[in-house]
Amino acid sequence: MIRWIAFGILFLVWGCQSVSNKKTEEVLNQPWEKIEKAARGSTVNLMMWTGDPLINAYMQDFVVPEVKKRFGIDLKIASGQGNLIVQALLAEIQAGKTESELDLLWINGETFYQLRQIDALFGPWTDKLPNAQYIDFSNPFIAKDFQQPVDGFECPWGNVQMALIYNSQYVPNPPQNRQALAAFLKEHPGKFTFDNQFTGMTFLKSMLMDVAGGAQNLAGDFDEKKYATYSAQLWTYLKSLKPYLWREGKTFPENVSVMHQLFASGELWFTMSNNDNEVDNKVSQGLFPSTSRAYVWDSGLIQNTHYQGIPKLSTNKVGAMTVVNFLISPAAQFRKQNAAVWGDGLVLDVNKLPAKWQTEFQQLPKRKYVPARAELNAKALPELAPEYMIRLSEDFRKNIIEQ
Amino acid sequence: MFRRASLLVYLLLCIVPLLLGLGYVLAYSFGLIGLLNHGFTTAHWRAVLLDKTFWQSLGYSLYIALACMSIVVVVSAALLAGFRKNLTQGFLSAFIYLPLTLPAIVAAFVCFQLWSKSGLISRMVYQVGWIANLDQFPEWINDAWGLGIIFTHTFMATPFFTLLFLQVYEREKIQRLEQLAFTLGATPRQAWLKVTAPILWRKSFFSILLYLVFVMGAYETPLLLGRQSPEMIAPLIIRKLQKFNLLDMPQAYVISAAYLLLLMGFGGLVFSKIKTRMA
Repeated sequence: MIRWIAFGILFLVWGCQSVSNKKTEEVLNQPWEKIEKAARGSTVNLMMWTGDPLINAYMQDFVVPEVKKRFGIDLKIASGQGNLIVQALLAEIQAGKTESELDLLWINGETFYQLRQIDALFGPWTDKLPNAQYIDFSNPFIAKDFQQPVDGFECPWGNVQMALIYNSQYVPNPPQNRQALAAFLKEHPGKFTFDNQFTGMTFLKSMLMDVAGGAQNLAGDFDEKKYATYSAQLWTYLKSLKPYLWREGKTFPENVSVMHQLFASGELWFTMSNNDNEVDNKVSQGLFPSTSRAYVWDSGLIQNTHYQGIPKLSTNKVGAMTVVNFLISPAAQFRKQNAAVWGDGLVLDVNKLPAKWQTEFQQLPKRKYVPARAELNAKALPELAPEYMIRLSEDFRKNIIEQ
Repeated sequence: MFRRASLLVYLLLCIVPLLLGLGYVLAYSFGLIGLLNHGFTTAHWRAVLLDKTFWQSLGYSLYIALACMSIVVVVSAALLAGFRKNLTQGFLSAFIYLPLTLPAIVAAFVCFQLWSKSGLISRMVYQVGWIANLDQFPEWINDAWGLGIIFTHTFMATPFFTLLFLQVYEREKIQRLEQLAFTLGATPRQAWLKVTAPILWRKSFFSILLYLVFVMGAYETPLLLGRQSPEMIAPLIIRKLQKFNLLDMPQAYVISAAYLLLLMGFGGLVFSKIKTRMA
């Protein structure tokens, strides 16, 4: 008897599950209008980094009410980024769950790589989005994420250029390369550092490309031999720089927010950001002094794109796709690009947009504290394969922090 | 009946989850479960136990906790000795609770704002003219000795232990024993050292030990106020668990298991010693 009851429960569970999965797949084969219709009245759970008040305001005050008004979708935002997202999905898969708590993820680079490693992403789905026609896929900075083709498993959302930020009151002529930085720091010790997280490691990757003689020498898959050669040179350089870094390089800010705070208080003369527009929005918020300026040094700094991905086990893929289609709409991207709102770079090709939107984009207010993106593009470096970040992070610890 | 039910609830709420967690951690650390594991291996244990990072982190955590608790015990006892009456009535009796209301992360942030090179105290000292620029202010935060971490935990724990000592003092009627010592010719210093302090120590020993373990496992304070090397045990575990390399995850489980087993072993040893002494 008990055996029959257990069998019945198992059958029911399997039945419900297969119906729910089947339903989702069926809907995905439908025309877009039906997908949007199916999404109406549903809830989409988005996990994203919530460390910036302007980004949070853009999401909570604009995106959330707009998707509710336009598509009847309740967009719920949970805080979490990179490794937390990987942990959450990994835990669900390991626990044998068939339905994820999450429907949408703000990801890029090593997170995308890790999620593909554990086969946690749904796709390909981005070609279903009507607004995908405007995305600038001809731009290699958008079509590839850390040298990995996105292959429709994540949708570009924003594009940013890494920039160094300095206080022009103390630094009239900022250093333009590694050698100039070393010379500058010997004169002004303790005024420069980089954080121990994503931004700092991105800075190290930029320097690794410089050491290697250019991005082209490290393009493609991870190359152990090249890494060993060039990283050894990078550690030698950093060891020579270490006594002149903030706190003599014995410790590093735990994340970029701490570094921003040290910059704002005057303890540091430099900080850095993965978003070239950040200096404008931080000055406008009064968090950075008005003498702050951002630049990309002559050796180049990394430009990358961030994306929206959908977990394989999401129960509301149609809702997630509808939200993403709105996020990449000209209206949402236009608002996001404004430095007073967020200042995130565009992933759309303006020339592909309807004439009305082309005019709107041309009339966006110019940036005040950082050169125009077009000027910086010449110095943009591509992201390297994710293994470079993983290895640099580990070896930075061994060669610099623990020395 | 009630005792049995309480025991069952305790087992279900405390012991079973602990054992399940330990089982999961051990299975993960030996490669038996986990998406990126490929079957039984001792490689992760060897990687952790043969690397100095784990032992350094363990030693550093113990140093921070011991330093913190030593200061806390001395300061709390001194407060009790000097301000016992004020602790039960008046301004100090309410004020002493204030640090207890602060979560660890807030206390760490307050400490950062106070003691960093560009913090409040540094600026005050600069304004007074004791230092020529802010860089000359000594390193209290992110320093090699973990002074910021020790300060924060001392700040949070001192009121707790002051109140604990006060309760012990009253419950054990130490004042009467002190009076007795005086009548037998003891000086106040002798009465404190031979009567009060030993009773306080003995009656608070387990609380001190438990708080020591709590400080050893601190996460937020060392993350904000400590250095990346040496680092306390909790930030090390989280780094292994959450940093860029997914293949490091089993090492996080090894460190958790090793730390837990060491603590359980140490706890068992202390408990058996005390039991033997009592018998």
